[in-house]
Amino acid sequence: MSSRRQAAGGRWQATACTICGLLAAACILQPAACQVPEPPPEPDLLLRAMKDELHRSRDLRIISLDLPYFIEYRVADESNYSVNASLGALVASSQSTVRIPMVRVRVGDYAFDNTNHIYSEAYSGSRYDPDQLSLDSDYLGFRHALWLTTDRAYKTAEDAIARKRSSLKNMNQPDQIPDFSKVPAVQAVLPVQRHAVNESLWKDRVVKLSAIFDRFPLVLSSTIEMQISQATNYLVNSEGSVLRTPENLAHIRVLARGLTPDGTQVRDALVVQAFDAAGLPAEAELRRQVTEVADHVTALSQAPPGEAYDGPVLFEAAAAAQLFGQLLGDNLKITRKPIVDAGHNAPYVPSELENRVGSRILPDWMDVVDDPTQTEWRGHPLLGHYLYDIEAVSPTPLALIEKGTLKTFLLTRTPVLKSFDSSNGRARMTGSFGADAPGFGNLFVRATQTVPLPDLKKKLMELCRERSKPYGMLVRKLDYPSSASVDELRHLAQSSGNSRPTTLPLLVYRIYPDGREELVRSLRFRGLTTRSLKDIVAASDENYVFDFIDSNAVFALMGAGSFTTSASVIAPSLLFDELELEPVQEETPKPPIVPPPPLGGASTIGKQAAGGRQQETPRGIAVLPPAACSLQPAACPPAS
Amino acid sequence: MRLIPLLVVSLPLAAASPPTLLDILNDELQRNFSVLKQKADPPPYYMAYTVTEEDTQIISASLGTLTSNHTTHLRYLDVTIRVGNSKLDNYHVVNGQRARFTSGSVIPLDNVPDAIRQKVWLETDRTYRLAARRLIEIKSNAQSKLKQEDDSDDFSIEPPSVHEEPPPRPHFPDEQWIGLLRKWSAELSNTSGVLSSNIVLAVERETKYLVSTEGTRLLHGRTFTNISIAARGKASDGMDLTATQDFQSTDLDRLPNPDAIEAAVKRVGTDLAGLLRAPTVEPFIGPAILSGRAAGVFFHEIFGHRVEGHRQKDEAEGQTFTKAIGTAVLPDFLSVVFDPTRKTIESTDLNGTYSYDDEGIKAGPVTVVDNGILKTFLMSRSPIHGFDHSNGHGRRQPGAEVVSRQSNLIVESKKTVPEKRLREMLVAEIKRQHKPYGLYFEQVTGGYTLTQRRGLQAYTVIPLIVYRVYADGHPDELVRGADIVGTPLSSFAKILVTSDKLEVFNGYCGAESGQVPVSAVSPALLVSEIEIQKKDHSLDRPPLLSAPTEEK
Repeated sequence: MSSRRQAAGGRWQATACTICGLLAAACILQPAACQVPEPPPEPDLLLRAMKDELHRSRDLRIISLDLPYFIEYRVADESNYSVNASLGALVASSQSTVRIPMVRVRVGDYAFDNTNHIYSEAYSGSRYDPDQLSLDSDYLGFRHALWLTTDRAYKTAEDAIARKRSSLKNMNQPDQIPDFSKVPAVQAVLPVQRHAVNESLWKDRVVKLSAIFDRFPLVLSSTIEMQISQATNYLVNSEGSVLRTPENLAHIRVLARGLTPDGTQVRDALVVQAFDAAGLPAEAELRRQVTEVADHVTALSQAPPGEAYDGPVLFEAAAAAQLFGQLLGDNLKITRKPIVDAGHNAPYVPSELENRVGSRILPDWMDVVDDPTQTEWRGHPLLGHYLYDIEAVSPTPLALIEKGTLKTFLLTRTPVLKSFDSSNGRARMTGSFGADAPGFGNLFVRATQTVPLPDLKKKLMELCRERSKPYGMLVRKLDYPSSASVDELRHLAQSSGNSRPTTLPLLVYRIYPDGREELVRSLRFRGLTTRSLKDIVAASDENYVFDFIDSNAVFALMGAGSFTTSASVIAPSLLFDELELEPVQEETPKPPIVPPPPLGGASTIGKQAAGGRQQETPRGIAVLPPAACSLQPAACPPAS
Repeated sequence: MRLIPLLVVSLPLAAASPPTLLDILNDELQRNFSVLKQKADPPPYYMAYTVTEEDTQIISASLGTLTSNHTTHLRYLDVTIRVGNSKLDNYHVVNGQRARFTSGSVIPLDNVPDAIRQKVWLETDRTYRLAARRLIEIKSNAQSKLKQEDDSDDFSIEPPSVHEEPPPRPHFPDEQWIGLLRKWSAELSNTSGVLSSNIVLAVERETKYLVSTEGTRLLHGRTFTNISIAARGKASDGMDLTATQDFQSTDLDRLPNPDAIEAAVKRVGTDLAGLLRAPTVEPFIGPAILSGRAAGVFFHEIFGHRVEGHRQKDEAEGQTFTKAIGTAVLPDFLSVVFDPTRKTIESTDLNGTYSYDDEGIKAGPVTVVDNGILKTFLMSRSPIHGFDHSNGHGRRQPGAEVVSRQSNLIVESKKTVPEKRLREMLVAEIKRQHKPYGLYFEQVTGGYTLTQRRGLQAYTVIPLIVYRVYADGHPDELVRGADIVGTPLSSFAKILVTSDKLEVFNGYCGAESGQVPVSAVSPALLVSEIEIQKKDHSLDRPPLLSAPTEEK
């Protein structure tokens, strides 16, 4: 669950960076000095232990095998406080501090090494290195753990390069792309940023917020979780990079579900996030937003199901930014296909855009730039800001799409395509097969031709009129990052056939010629891919900032994925000339036989409860469809 | 109809004194049961809600430093719904397949009725659907397959239990304890060859709440403290070696004094150092002594698992003892009692102690073997041929379904000798068999056994500390890399005599219904023949660079 995010905000850090960078360099030049009993002026014992043990690890070798050419230590030093509540009751709260080490050893050379093979990270021997480093500042304890972790990483690397050579023996290799690219070393030791967390204040606030749902009898399940994570990320490598960066993130996540009279599940979710708890919205604003989620679920559980639709669609508010975040996020993050034994399939989904550099993928009046250097946009802090990526590469603004034409990708130090073989500082999460995974920071979707939002709606109605459509469709929110259950995701993946699935729209409205909006439910997109982006016909002059927690899980599924990072998308509302929506074809379970328990707050909202309940008695299972595989043979052998 | 009065009544009450968890669970149980009985097809005939509240602190230290300090406080809900009737219900086992209906989902810690009732209702709905679907599958299977040999009912009729006794709040470790852990763990780092070591202190309070439609209403639980010391290293041939010591008690205050724990820490260091230098074993058949703790594990694996009641009617099981009631299964000087009400033996608190099992049945001692003769099995509420009732051994971990499990296994012997004499008898037996040496199994770390027909019906226990005992007075020699192997029935006949001192092995046993706390208590055993094999071991090299502490 450790995140490997690199982010920091503020100009004052840049100054500090220069000073500490010098200090760090001083220590590197005198490794022997770090071992004398009187410690040199490197106050951070963890950093000192990392440098010293890395220096010693350069001697790792087994005669006749490949030598290590690159060693990197990363440590995520993280404190987390989390609290979870439902209907005014505390469900769980926890506080944890962890220091998670990650050691990378590459043997061979930049052109050919142990990575990018299906078994690059497979180790068959016994493991002695701990999962976590000591919580005390203990120099020798840190080194002991790093010593064992490095030993395992080195042996894994030697095994992997042998297996990789053996796999390649029987295979044609059309293009020889290097396994790793060179980057200049950086040294930046930024100040640690830790703030005391007022646990009782947040516990109380989350519990109170969760009680809002007590007034909404049609919301049949709800939960509010909050997490405050404060981390310091360390990186030291054999190329001379030394990095210490703070990375803090606080978020509140609200999930609510209900049922329609026919037993279909409906849900809404909300995540608000900021670099620290103080940056989260004030309590009144949180109450407003939580109430909005409850209102949405209540409205959805009474909304009519949508019908198949093929025509103009307007993405408003968060929806356009969510769509770009997902479609471009998924497809501009290109990753290396791992080498497997001939005749086996690599676990790899190629990007839709991999072969389309130089092709037009958006209207020629649109550009897309990823700019992690921006700390805010019109007063709104941008969560995709970072100074260095997780490979210690500093990002600069990157024009991904210019005048509608695809120019480049989000790249890490692992070359993916022949012509894109160097990093552009977009390694944001630990990836697979010894590589890191790319991601964007602040994705700016810009339109040079814009119209005011009301005109966009008029234009939607015009298009409908031209095509004799009784109504147009307006999408306000997508399920991204997804709040789906694992079973819902499985259904979505199974029913999408071969195409990469798109998340469900959560809030979809019919817009009638008189401007009336009608919420509909249970629709999904059909065939929505990066190719659909060419059908954008107009953009608004207002932009929406959408911050989110990206992860390596499918649809950035909330709470899933082993690594997370924060990102922002800034995009206008967008009108698509033609998109298809279709009803979600799912077997709806029968409604629950037992009605939901009455809510205690019902006395104050007696009318609503009684009215709602009698007309709209929710029926159908509310959490997991019965398809869950719960029949298990007693296969486990008894053991002590 | 009854929802409205309940609501009206509960509001003023809530203001006066907050409802208890048992009250909230019971209200929701009655509401769901009455509606399901009226409207559902098939209707439930039995329902129960179990909440397991776990309050745990786990601290670990290594190399003189703290590596983690974690507290958790959570409540897990298990919903039991039986549809059909006690003769044939959704829990019926078909082709060795045991269905799981409960999910052990997390419910609020605060007794806020709305919040708890909503979760309980959702889980009840989910569980009912699975139960109803499973019954249909079972019924169609019953028609297409031959009749099973044991056609006992699926659920026994038992009187309800009503008892409320919350477990005491244990002492949780303070800074002084953390300081001790740091100090002791530093001790281990001084041992040459130790690659990883840790000392873990865990304090747990487990509170169980159970309400059933039969009128059972229970609140009970236990506290437990465990301190375990482990060191691991790698011999020059790649073999991974471990030395451990552990202590348990119901409270920190009842653990041995710090000097005794420190001595155990030192012992772990010397054991590991000894193992790293020790020769590897050769395959061997000959006489041996199993220490009381080793013998406890031996009985738990090769005997205990085979007298768990549910295995006697599962056609996929080996059923070693199914038809052996009334016959001799052990030497006539041995009896085996499972006694969950026993709290302490030889001043060690037992881990398998409880007052009610997880089906709400009051616990009591069960003599399974009396002077060598098999008398009964460990029973949950799943009857088997000849045994219609539970004897309080239905157990589970939250999130799993109950099956019959062991509690405190106690081996009682009528043929005992003092430990010194036992050793003399081993030497005599070595000479009688003309063997160069015998074996002394001092410590084992647990083991596993396969009871199913499709597997080899064998067991393995994993010895940690084994000595060769020579007949010629040559000192005992620590050896490494031994596995005990054998088949169950043949092993029992070879027990010649036991020591007169009971030893306790406390542990957690993992099986179909998850991990449950157990104890295995036995005197040391002299066996005429035991077989050991060479342990499969890793061939990877020890670390290539020396430890940073050894760099100069």
